[in-house]
Amino acid sequence: MKLTKQLVVCCSIFFVLLFSCSDSLNFDQADSLVAEPELEASLLYIEAPERIINLATATNFFVQDFNFDAFSSDFFAERVIEGTVTYEVENTTSKELEVTVEFLDESGVILDTEIFAVEAAPTAVLEREIAYGGTGRSIDIIINTSSIRVSAENLGDTMSTSIFPDPKVTLKSKGKFKLSVI
Amino acid sequence: MKNYMILLLALLGLGFYGLGQNKALLYDFSEIPQSLMVNPGVQSDFQWYSGIPALSHVSFQIGSSGVNANSLFANDGLDFNDKVRDRLIFGMSPNDELSGNYQLELINIGFRGKDTGNFYTAGIYHEGDAIGYWFRDYAILAFEGNADRLGQRFDLSHLSTRGEILNVFHFGVNHQWKRNITIGARAKIYSSILNFDSTRNKGFFVTTEGQNNLLASTLDADLRWRTSGINDLKAAEEDGSIASTVLKNGFFGGNLGLGFDLGFTYNLNDQTVLTGSLLDLGFIYHTKDVMNYSLSGSATVEGVQIILPDALSDPNADFWQQLVDDVEQFIPFEDNTKNYITWRPTKLYASIRRDFGEQLPTRANCDCGPYATLGSFRAKYANSFGGQLYMVSRPRGPQAALSAFYLRRLGNFMALKTTYTIDKFSATNIGLALNLQAGPVNMYFMADNLLGYGNLANSQYASFQLGLNIISWGKN
Repeated sequence: MKLTKQLVVCCSIFFVLLFSCSDSLNFDQADSLVAEPELEASLLYIEAPERIINLATATNFFVQDFNFDAFSSDFFAERVIEGTVTYEVENTTSKELEVTVEFLDESGVILDTEIFAVEAAPTAVLEREIAYGGTGRSIDIIINTSSIRVSAENLGDTMSTSIFPDPKVTLKSKGKFKLSVI
Repeated sequence: MKNYMILLLALLGLGFYGLGQNKALLYDFSEIPQSLMVNPGVQSDFQWYSGIPALSHVSFQIGSSGVNANSLFANDGLDFNDKVRDRLIFGMSPNDELSGNYQLELINIGFRGKDTGNFYTAGIYHEGDAIGYWFRDYAILAFEGNADRLGQRFDLSHLSTRGEILNVFHFGVNHQWKRNITIGARAKIYSSILNFDSTRNKGFFVTTEGQNNLLASTLDADLRWRTSGINDLKAAEEDGSIASTVLKNGFFGGNLGLGFDLGFTYNLNDQTVLTGSLLDLGFIYHTKDVMNYSLSGSATVEGVQIILPDALSDPNADFWQQLVDDVEQFIPFEDNTKNYITWRPTKLYASIRRDFGEQLPTRANCDCGPYATLGSFRAKYANSFGGQLYMVSRPRGPQAALSAFYLRRLGNFMALKTTYTIDKFSATNIGLALNLQAGPVNMYFMADNLLGYGNLANSQYASFQLGLNIISWGKN
């Protein structure tokens, strides 16, 4: 009798296990999952020493288009939501310069233009941050950019030399973009 | 992408327990033939047994050392993205793991030899086993990105995972060496159906201040991903021959390996017993349908760099393509079909047991009298208690669990065992096992972490084992 009772108790425990409880869960919440990482990296660096500027016969001493497929790659172009491009222009030459950065699409149409007018040295580093998407310029500019054109114009002379060591003009840039991954 | 994420979250929700293969309830439960599978040196008194094919042992264990289903999917009104961020991405550490194991015995038989001190076992079981550590830094990169994290190294070693599906063919001998010592050994042939392994990854990704440009991005990677059997299964899925491919690879047509189990039981005195076993000391050599991938090297980039006048030497230069080519040269992504070896997750069990209470009449076919204290087979006591240690080798080093147990025998027809297990993941794991013997029919049910059954969604561990055998002691 005692054994039977114990057997009943044991079987009851396993019976209870079969009907174990669980809080109600809402797996539909996963539909609201959002992953929007912000990725940041350098874009373009250009450096022109003063001696090259002085050697140039035209005032527009540098113009070049650079293929830049980072923005037009499928992974990036299909997911980018918004972002910023940050520029830093530093001029340690003795000339006043104008640097222009243009974003071009695949057929060479200019999508966006940024002009940097920098005084002759000594002058502070010129910093500029351009927003795309949201309240900024259209994100389509970034999505459709296939190449970047950089031109630089010497608004000063071609004779003088800077008092600073290793005089040059540099353009630094980085991009910070938010992507919609999920 | 979202589907994959949901699947991942569901897996996390269900969870897989770090010590998923710990069979603390089955260990040293000598009334059950399958106790020989976790200690080939267990004291057994069967004349023969035969497991009911595909039903003699079914075990399934899942759990999580990190989040559970409730912490993510509860109807608590909290923002789901906040829960994922706080509890999953930043709430779990890279040492939190997801692992699971299932076993299904196809055949298991045992019989006593002419020398009654020898008991032989043989059989086949199917097993699936996987472990994955939480790839935290990869998740942070995927959800948050690298922006405004200057100098923060994203550790690529956080990717550490392995898994396999295989059939195991085994033959074992259990030998009563002396009256107080029983030893056992088992040879195993592994027939792998599928394997993946990516456990020795190293490297980092970091964004720092650039030397020329504003930022420098550095990738220093030594990543490997090794697989076997996967392409076969993909092809089989396409031509509708999955079953035959699994059967072929699972029955010596796939990648083969060799392993051993060892075990002993030592009676310190009539009522105090030491046991130990070492399981799956073996390897699998992968030679068929192997596909390995690697990403190895180091590179730092600061975007496209044009430094005059050198950059003007080639007016048609594609600086972007040069940058891409340089990165691919310094960190090549390669694949190959080289053979490789994987080691099985080796398990170690040890226990000390104290028997007490009434001695039960032995069922063994021997001239050892009803209480068997002087015969070659030892009689069982109505009660036993003791402690058990379990360790398993894992990609990031061994893990241990400590259990206390109490075993109660009710005559020769029923036995109960309860365990309390503590490990780095849980301090409330109480398990219960029931073994029933109705004539020659033996059946058993086991479940761990009973407290978790009160709310499965909030549990980080659920496990069960059950089986059905026919047993003869030669006197039936």
